[in-house]
Amino acid sequence: MTQKILLVEDDATTAEFIIKGLSEQGLAVDHAKNGRDGLFHATDGSYDAIILDRMLPSMDGMAVLHAIRAAGIATPILILSARGAVEDRIAGLTAGSDDYLTKPFAFAELLARLRLLMKRAAGPASSVETILACEDLEMDLLARRVKRSGRPVDLQPREFRLLEYLMRHKEQVVTRTMLLEGVWDYHFDPGTNVIDVHVSRLRKKIDTQSDATLIHTVRGAGYRLGAGE
Amino acid sequence: MLGNKPKALAKFWRSSTTRFILLVFGIELILAASITLTLRGLTRAELQTDARAYAARMAQDIGRAYRTGDQQATQEAIFMRLVFSEGRTAIALLADKKGMALAGNLDRWPMGLQAGWNEIHLSRPGKKETEHIGVLVTPLPQGAKLLTGQILEADKRLSAILDRATGTALIFALPLALLAALAAVRIINARVDDIAETANAVRAGHLSKRVGLDGSGDTFDRLGATLNAMLDRIEALISELRIVTDGLAHDLRSPLTRLKARLDQAAKAEDTGRLQSAVAEADHEADRLLDMLTTALQISRAEAGIGRDHFAPLHLNALVDDLAELYGPLAEDRGFDLLVTANPCPAIDGHRELLSQAISNLIDNALKYGASPLCLTTGATDTSCWLCVEDHGPGIAPDAHAEALRRFGRLDPARTGFGAGLGLSLVAAVARLHGGHLSLSDAGPGLAVRLVLPRPATDQGFSTAAI
Repeated sequence: MTQKILLVEDDATTAEFIIKGLSEQGLAVDHAKNGRDGLFHATDGSYDAIILDRMLPSMDGMAVLHAIRAAGIATPILILSARGAVEDRIAGLTAGSDDYLTKPFAFAELLARLRLLMKRAAGPASSVETILACEDLEMDLLARRVKRSGRPVDLQPREFRLLEYLMRHKEQVVTRTMLLEGVWDYHFDPGTNVIDVHVSRLRKKIDTQSDATLIHTVRGAGYRLGAGE
Repeated sequence: MLGNKPKALAKFWRSSTTRFILLVFGIELILAASITLTLRGLTRAELQTDARAYAARMAQDIGRAYRTGDQQATQEAIFMRLVFSEGRTAIALLADKKGMALAGNLDRWPMGLQAGWNEIHLSRPGKKETEHIGVLVTPLPQGAKLLTGQILEADKRLSAILDRATGTALIFALPLALLAALAAVRIINARVDDIAETANAVRAGHLSKRVGLDGSGDTFDRLGATLNAMLDRIEALISELRIVTDGLAHDLRSPLTRLKARLDQAAKAEDTGRLQSAVAEADHEADRLLDMLTTALQISRAEAGIGRDHFAPLHLNALVDDLAELYGPLAEDRGFDLLVTANPCPAIDGHRELLSQAISNLIDNALKYGASPLCLTTGATDTSCWLCVEDHGPGIAPDAHAEALRRFGRLDPARTGFGAGLGLSLVAAVARLHGGHLSLSDAGPGLAVRLVLPRPATDQGFSTAAI
């Protein structure tokens, strides 16, 4: 079944860029040019995710967000905003959005986050899981042990958390900023790609002993944990 | 013109200056009037008391003579009192129980007198006009009665003189009061005008103008000092803004020019390979521009004090540990020894995200431009917590340290790479947001950057802090 996305964005160029990108990924996109139309569409309720611009004519994005949540609609919402300060992000998240992306953004970043939101909404919360697995890689969250093809892999605490994040989002593209936020809880760009070094070390420990690589680099986007192409 | 008059008048009455003059004038007037009136009242009361005492003395004297029963002695006493009257015009009359005058200088007993003190108007024998007389009526044995007193006319004259003096005093007091009011207003106006002039000059663009202070510490001095402090801040902000605008304009020009050139190349590209590489380059330039704007925006926000409401207690050592862990692998890959020395540090109030970003900037800079080893050291003094990031590369010449901290300060040749200038000034802005500061020093060789943050006023001591 085709997944449906509602895009509420007043800037025509940005909207076109997003619609084109999402359509190429096989997603159906409805576009609302202002807050009121956006709210009207959102209450219709048949969307898998909503991309909501924060600054909109006729009705502010935050107001739309409040109204959607007040109407009891639980559709995952990703806020797009030119305001990237921590305070703005916190305001957006506490108001009930599920993720917050600062403009300008790379399309790969938007797509990765959107897929993550839809997957999270579709599947039940996996917090009770104590064993994560991907192909022949196995992670025991209670014993804090990792095995590849039955052989134990020795990981540092942070490497463990990094791998845990990748395994919780297996077969999905995970961007560097998502890792920085999810594993380190930093919301700024540290400049040099420190994440790459961490991932390549983890990859060395996970993949070198084995024939099949599990941690793949996705060009221009980030990483993906899973079976090869 | 005619229509303007009432308006001008209304304005005149509404004016604080006018009201102030009137107030001072009124107070002066009331003061002068109350002094003269009190003086007059007191004098009058004193004169009346004196007259009554005199009448009482006379009555006592004559009464004593009368009680001896010697008519001759009584008449003599009356006569003596009338002659030696201490400069007053004395009045005395002795009457029998039928009211017949027996002795004295009145021909008959006046009508309507009561026992005690009376003030009456009476025409004496041989005088045409009535006179104001104060008399004491004293009953004597065998139904006789005695009237003693004096003409108050003389006192009346004194009163008149006093009234004239009061009038004259008021005539002088009036313009004096007006003068005093005007002088007071002038003094106040001079101070206010000075402040207004300064404000006007600043508005006209003379940002360095300040209110003159006389050091007296009075209201105007305090107002002036407050205003000056505000003007200092405004001037600092404006000059900062100028630097930012100039810096941004200057620094944006080159990447924008490069971006335009890349787009030009892309437009004229003959094959897909060239087109792609030109577009990729253009994309790269756009990213640089965005990074720069983001950082400039963050600096402005930090400098405007935005983010203070997200301060929470945190440990500098914990922040440094996390960042050392984040940068550890990268440092190792680049051949750096990363040495963390964490000394006991109390918790401070801070913005975790901004402080982390600031420290990450310092580490990133050191890894980019410095040389191994890279030392991260924390410590605390009585008033502050500090973090020192020290590398052992070429460093920055001491005379260029100030330039390095300035926003958009560009350093040649070692640190011209993008972001160096902005990065350090972001760290400095974050330090200032926390009420601290950033200082650079020579690590001989290399650069030591010290981030100093104040300890909270309520000291929690070292015990809770040692992580």
